[in-house]
Amino acid sequence: QHFRGRKNRCYKLAVRSVRRAFVKSTKARREKKRFLRALWITRIEAASLEHGLKYSAFISNLLKSQVELNRKMIADLAIYEPKTFKSLAALAQRRREEGFLAALGDGKEPEGIFSRIVHHY
Amino acid sequence: VAKTSLTSPPWPEVKLPDPVEEAKHHAEVVQKVNKMIATGQYGRLFAVVHFASKQWKITSEDLIMMDNVLEAECGDRIRMEKVLLVGADDFTLIGRPLLGKDLVRVEATVIEKTESWPKINMRFWKRHNYQRKKIIVNPQTVLRINTIEIFPCLS
Repeated sequence: QHFRGRKNRCYKLAVRSVRRAFVKSTKARREKKRFLRALWITRIEAASLEHGLKYSAFISNLLKSQVELNRKMIADLAIYEPKTFKSLAALAQRRREEGFLAALGDGKEPEGIFSRIVHHY
Repeated sequence: VAKTSLTSPPWPEVKLPDPVEEAKHHAEVVQKVNKMIATGQYGRLFAVVHFASKQWKITSEDLIMMDNVLEAECGDRIRMEKVLLVGADDFTLIGRPLLGKDLVRVEATVIEKTESWPKINMRFWKRHNYQRKKIIVNPQTVLRINTIEIFPCLS
């Protein structure tokens, strides 16, 4: 940081290293979004494993029950609001079971409270 | 008949609770939460709001900064619709995907409208004599969340 060695004193070397620093910062601004999303995903995975669910099951069931929170929010909720995260995990688990029953048993329409689709007008 | 490894399917058997009892239980819980909201037995409320294409977790007396321009003067009160989640210590209300406008009310005031620090956008290819430098300044708005209110109209 702050340009080690002769890069902070000599003009020619400083010009080159400052130019590289600008270019790296522009590229990093695009990578930051990918990095943060991966971080949120690992955090949600850890939190949902504590409640006995995998990340894939958790997210897919939440989306199927029409809850559209994005990963940043779910990660923040898992950190600061554990009870809310527990209720979300229970919702996902219940929707998963209802999905299994709808696939296995020969019910005509999916019974169950959380498989119903809500219409917004 | 003796039980072999193929008598029952390999996945665990899943049983849902009785729908009638479930409906009764749900109605009880909804009544309880309604009473709690009506008597005002909640402490600090937090809400998840979808605003400026981002989701924010907000409480009262909160500062929010967004990277765009809002068509409102400084000091204007704004009501935020598109509330996804509202929670307190003992209960949370999860919207699918949004909560009703007669349930939650989120008020905010515009505090300042500034510009961001000048960000430098530079592209450089070595040995090709190509470099472009551009300074980007984004307009920013700062909002303060005044209150979050909920009304006991659950069903």
